[in-house]
Amino acid sequence: MLPIRRSILPLLLSLALLTFVFYYWQRFSQPAPWTDAELQQIASLSLAALPPLPPDPSNAVADDPRAAEFGHRLFFDPRLSANGNISCATCHQPIRNFSDGLPRAVALGMSKRNTPSIAGSAYSPWFYWDGRKDSQWSQALAPLEDPNEHGSSRLQVISLIASVSDYRRRYETLFGQPPRLESQDDINRAFANVGKALAAYERKLMPGKSRFDRYADYLQTGGDPKQQDLLNKDEIAGLRLFIGAARCTECHNGPLFTNFEFHNTGLLPPAGELPDRGRIDGVREVLQDPFNCLGQYSDDPAHNCPELRYVRTGPELIGATRTPSLRNLANTMPFQSKGQHATLSGVLEHYNRAPLAMIGHNEATELGLADWQLRQLEAFLGTLAAPIDAAPEWLKAPATD
Amino acid sequence: MTAARLRRWPAVATLLCLCSSTAVFAHGGVVSENDLCIINIGYLKAHFKIYVPAATAHEEYCEDIPIRGESVFIMEYQHDGLSAAKIDFRIVRNVTGKGIYARSEDVANIDDLDAITVHYAPAAVFPDVYMLLHDFESDGEYIGIVTAATADNGKTYTAVFPFEVGDTGIGVWPWILGGLLVLQLNFWFWSRRRKPAAGTTAVLLLALLPYAPLFADDDTWPTDAGHFSVSYQPDLDPLQINKIHTWMLTVNHADGTPVANATVTLDGGMPSHNHGLPTQPAVLATANPGEYKVEGMRFHMQGDWVIAIKIDDGEHRDMVMIPLRL
Repeated sequence: MLPIRRSILPLLLSLALLTFVFYYWQRFSQPAPWTDAELQQIASLSLAALPPLPPDPSNAVADDPRAAEFGHRLFFDPRLSANGNISCATCHQPIRNFSDGLPRAVALGMSKRNTPSIAGSAYSPWFYWDGRKDSQWSQALAPLEDPNEHGSSRLQVISLIASVSDYRRRYETLFGQPPRLESQDDINRAFANVGKALAAYERKLMPGKSRFDRYADYLQTGGDPKQQDLLNKDEIAGLRLFIGAARCTECHNGPLFTNFEFHNTGLLPPAGELPDRGRIDGVREVLQDPFNCLGQYSDDPAHNCPELRYVRTGPELIGATRTPSLRNLANTMPFQSKGQHATLSGVLEHYNRAPLAMIGHNEATELGLADWQLRQLEAFLGTLAAPIDAAPEWLKAPATD
Repeated sequence: MTAARLRRWPAVATLLCLCSSTAVFAHGGVVSENDLCIINIGYLKAHFKIYVPAATAHEEYCEDIPIRGESVFIMEYQHDGLSAAKIDFRIVRNVTGKGIYARSEDVANIDDLDAITVHYAPAAVFPDVYMLLHDFESDGEYIGIVTAATADNGKTYTAVFPFEVGDTGIGVWPWILGGLLVLQLNFWFWSRRRKPAAGTTAVLLLALLPYAPLFADDDTWPTDAGHFSVSYQPDLDPLQINKIHTWMLTVNHADGTPVANATVTLDGGMPSHNHGLPTQPAVLATANPGEYKVEGMRFHMQGDWVIAIKIDDGEHRDMVMIPLRL
């Protein structure tokens, strides 16, 4: 046996060699090839898997280009507010992926929750973090009357349409007659029509193809092998975690990275506030909303509203909020329903720990991922950034005639 | 009479009717059941928890709040009745002098509840879950009073739970001072010829003075209704855990005469852990009138204990809860 002192040197040398080998193996090794199951998951997340936008039978003008043009004008018009300064674009800013970069929307006052992007939202059966609206057009009505947002009123909005000749003309062309103000029902109907025009514009805003989507296309169809470098090693490792150990796809699934559902993820309230009751209130509101799919202002004569008819109610909805899309996150931070997390790493740490919810039950469970794995996930989420897919004229205020 | 005064009458009336025998070893209406903090508002149960989100994030407290600040009280109903009930929630400063052992009857004895109220959330229906936010401005002892008027039979039920906010415990100072004392005693022991440093000793003793009640275990405790007084003397001095031992109780009438041949029972537990004594002690009368021997006393955990002693001399039945820190 070697004396201890003589055995130290070879030991150190072999340790150094091992470190060296490990480093180079890490640096230059290729990621493991995707399994069939993983390829299937990746394909399901790609925009290539996004079906064409289904029609909205509750909105007769949803796909009428004239309605989109009218809606585009209304979207950017600050006259639709109590002080003449707030338009939809105040919070849904085209340069910020139709969000505002604030924890919570600020217009006339501060809103209850964070401003979500509009891109791709036409696919969602529910609107708002608590799903208190069931169509894009009925959603578009609520901020107009919210005292913290536009602070306007039905009557004020319709009076504007009636008094601005361009608007009156467009309205008449679309809805057959000028807005009527004779009864509350007339007012509601004209107000709903304003929402339907706004929705027709919003339906034009779709998420664009991101680096991830091009990588997913390459995996599906082959082609230039250089495309496998579209994602770097960390991003690929992050994608592998995303569809695997991090269990993100349990909620963030499909090409829009959302299941459009409501989940309690144990978020803390901001200072001075009670925990968000979330969907438990949202579901009650949407069922009572006169502008819902079953209501008289829906254009669907059959009132075929499966989402609303079979909506889930019950205590499991306490504290649940809607799964947001993960596309274009950099433009929509701070994150979560009340902007609780300023950074993506904060969000990921939260899900990694999955603390008990203050109200209801946190549906997430502890992931136990290492810090470097969370960084890989964050790297992957960065590959979902892409410009909005819409004609350039939709992404700015309309030219004034 | 002010509107606020009118509001509190139903609560007080209910408190007066409440019987005190439930949840003896808990902070009143809030108990821990199967590791779940439960508030019992009459027969209506809810999962009870308190958070201080800004300071301790998702840390959940059952009754005492170790950090002063914006606190969120939550009741997750375990009974549908609460979802439809009108609930009012009051937080008052604990002026009963009984600390965490204050009971509903102590609250009922308070003349002007409004004067000591720090938060009052008027009765309303809170579906699904009850939430209340209160920003405590000072550390101290408080009492929560929750009243629920059920929708079906219109009956009103009340839960009363004393709790502490902030660091109201004795903290680490007694240990540090105790350590210093030991060092000082050592010093004296090894230098016996030297005169003790009188100054240091005086300072140490003075510093320990505020904690004297905690170390004294031969205090006399009046029973709740004032019929008797009880004092106890363990044969373990000082008290320690995991050692079975006996206590000697001295039970007197209010006028100081010994209570002979009474039925005396003793039980105990740790309110914050929701468990009782690890033993079932027996109380035996001795040859000396008014003296009772308690056999089978054992504590199995450090912390705050409560010993409940019930006395029945054939004429009066009364009880006392004695707090004890190990």
